[in-house]
Amino acid sequence: MTSDAARPPLLAVEALSKHFPGVEALSAVSLTVLPGEVHGLVGQNGAGKSTLVKCIAGVHPPDRGRILFDGRPITTYTPKHAYDLGIAVLHQRAQLLPWLSVAENVLLGQLPSRAGVVIDRHEANRRTRDLLAQFRLDIDPAVPVAHLTTPERQQVAIAKAVYRRAKLLILDEPTAALDAERSERLFTLVGQLVNEGVAILYVTHPLEEIFRLADRLTVLRDGRLMVTCPTREVTQTEVVTLMAGRAPAAAAAPPTAPAVKAEPNGPALLAVEHLRTDVLRDVSLEVRTGEVVGVTGVIGAGGHEVARVIYGLDRPTAGRIRLAGHPYRPRGPRQSIGRHIFLVPEDPDRQGLVLPLSVAANITLVALRAITRHGVLSLPRERAVAQQFRRDLNIAAPSLATPVRTLSGGNRQKVLLAKGLAADAAVLVLEEPTQGVDVSAKVEIHRIVRELAAAGRAVLVISTDVRDLLRFVDRIVCLRSGEVVQTVSARETSYAEIIAMTVGSLGAQAS
Amino acid sequence: MSTDHPGHPTVAAGLETPPADHSALPDGRIRSRLRRVDVYSVWPMAVMVVLIAVTTFQSSHYLTVFNFENILSQVAPLGIVTMGQAILLISAGLDLSVGYNIAFAGIVTGLLLQQNQPLWLAIAAGIAASTGVGFVNGLLAAQGRAHPFIITLGMSIFLFGLDTQLTGGAPVNDMKGLYTAFGGYLPSGPPFFGLPSLTIPLVLVVLFAFAFLRWSPLGRRAYAIGGNEEAAYLSGIPVKRTKIYLYTIMGLLVGITGMVLSGEINEASFNLAQNFELESIACAVIGGTALFGGRGGALRSLQGVALWGIVQNAIVFAGLSSNYQQMALGLIIVIAVMVTRAQK
Repeated sequence: MTSDAARPPLLAVEALSKHFPGVEALSAVSLTVLPGEVHGLVGQNGAGKSTLVKCIAGVHPPDRGRILFDGRPITTYTPKHAYDLGIAVLHQRAQLLPWLSVAENVLLGQLPSRAGVVIDRHEANRRTRDLLAQFRLDIDPAVPVAHLTTPERQQVAIAKAVYRRAKLLILDEPTAALDAERSERLFTLVGQLVNEGVAILYVTHPLEEIFRLADRLTVLRDGRLMVTCPTREVTQTEVVTLMAGRAPAAAAAPPTAPAVKAEPNGPALLAVEHLRTDVLRDVSLEVRTGEVVGVTGVIGAGGHEVARVIYGLDRPTAGRIRLAGHPYRPRGPRQSIGRHIFLVPEDPDRQGLVLPLSVAANITLVALRAITRHGVLSLPRERAVAQQFRRDLNIAAPSLATPVRTLSGGNRQKVLLAKGLAADAAVLVLEEPTQGVDVSAKVEIHRIVRELAAAGRAVLVISTDVRDLLRFVDRIVCLRSGEVVQTVSARETSYAEIIAMTVGSLGAQAS
Repeated sequence: MSTDHPGHPTVAAGLETPPADHSALPDGRIRSRLRRVDVYSVWPMAVMVVLIAVTTFQSSHYLTVFNFENILSQVAPLGIVTMGQAILLISAGLDLSVGYNIAFAGIVTGLLLQQNQPLWLAIAAGIAASTGVGFVNGLLAAQGRAHPFIITLGMSIFLFGLDTQLTGGAPVNDMKGLYTAFGGYLPSGPPFFGLPSLTIPLVLVVLFAFAFLRWSPLGRRAYAIGGNEEAAYLSGIPVKRTKIYLYTIMGLLVGITGMVLSGEINEASFNLAQNFELESIACAVIGGTALFGGRGGALRSLQGVALWGIVQNAIVFAGLSSNYQQMALGLIIVIAVMVTRAQK
């Protein structure tokens, strides 16, 4: 692994810009990947990593700038063209055909045949076994991919890329679904690939991985290039600072602000104690009446799972939940709503809203009993309820009869919040409430959430958008690998400090 | 959009809620009024008007009370079961067992009547039998382990065997009191105007389905589950229980269809209602009920049934063989789905 700058780069991204409606996803980003190099790409959620990867992989054509591969500019931006050139992208969930065998997946399109008619399974399996053995992988080539574990599928996908003579392999958060031991095997595999002469663009959140594997790294922030440099010339602290945009306040020291002490007047409205599941290792948090508490961490750190357990969608293996001091075992959404808990799920369109139904019908769906008189839905009552929340939350819809499918992202979020109000929720759990929402709607949602809390509710906000959380929550629970690293007061912390804790490079080993 | 949709307080079928645009010029006002008419939900009506007009020119016997009574008695049983099918389709379900389940209800009632059981008992037992089948369909569909397509297809094959076993393949020939009830006509003059007597169950079931979908919490739950099952579940809707209710209601409507149909023709056999499963789905879809849930209604599905009946009848008047009926109906189904799709 060298960083010999004299070699011509395998991949050269030159002043690439990509604009999406409302966002400058990438502005004039340049990047080079040398042959046989491991190049780390880091940045916060929304920094532009995914967009850059998608441009290189031919998914998005760039607006300005160009991409050269092997010295020649790419003219056609399609995934197939990129693949034919030798650019292979490995997504978190490897894209394989589950009911074909490992060998068929690896050799697909180039399967050996007898007389050009019948697939020669024997030969296919032999070739695949040889290939896998080359990387010391012990996977039976005859088994359907569906029977493999997630890490095994990833290995098969890598083998497939190698077989197709991929020159550049893009690994997109490859360890997100792997535990420590399996991650080690992946790192070994990466080393072997480099020895084969494959260049790797390694996109990830945990900085340790970058510092361990990458020859050089590139930091993106808000769609802009911050720096590209050899890994050994920077420290993790410096990289965190570059990602965050300002120096971490308490530098390398653990945050001074302790977890906010519980107010002496009575128990918290929602208290989660030592929760464990497959993903969560030890999560405790509490939310008092009038409080807005944020939960953050990188994707996969466990925020989503906390929300699911509180709403009764997953069963914890250990730990307990208390509602206003009383033990509570959530069994599902219906019971949770009955106990005045409401979840705004992370994907409003898929999980939150019935898109063909009207605004009014969506809002009152959680409270059908409240608008039913003698077993009959009262449509005037439904309109009255919906109208009140539409006004309170300032939902911009032409009428209550408008199908939700025609509303904007911000207004869809508001319809979800209105559902929480219609359900008369005392505890609101909001997952990614400002995702995909424009700036002015964000500000409005912040204000609404504060008002809902001030009116006597407890609000838990699960979000990967730390900047956003800092603007409207009281405290932030930082999760890392299913554990609470620390709970800090939003007033006494900084973006960089939280990033450091959730990404896990500074003083985060405390727990 | 949908006319009889929850939260759409529109009166006339085919009219959308009026837009709040009063600034248009007189000319533009007409155009904006036209724009209010939702072509997608009234096109079956338009086709019917054209067909009726054309056929009236061709035959002097067409536009007669007798002919339209004939159409009505032909489609009434299909209309009843289509209401149930529409409710299931709205919830993203469907029932392929209705054909042999209708026969099942008719056969149970017929066999009891043969043993000189009282009429009320025979009817109750027949309807209970098909409702029980609907309940089992619902129970299985609620588990979510197999698509209702497969579950009800299996049920259909099962019932075919059961129906044939119960009757030994031969029809039960005398439906006695049921024939008296549904084989004839209502008194002439107001209020019944001598309509076929099976008009009464049809009208009652259509009113029931309309009210159910519009004003009952269960109907609203059907729309929510069909529109987005996961969102419905996360909103606290008891998804499984709702599905069981909906399939059971379908079983009940199937039972009513079985009584009406076997009474009308005074006979019950395994092929009492052949093809009703597909025809009821087709009618609901022609009327604009979405095949994959979330949208649709009773009145639009009834439009589909009416179009079905009028097309069949018009082809007879055109002097064409019944083979052409099948061809025309096949085309209409495909066009209907494409029109509904274009709406998005």
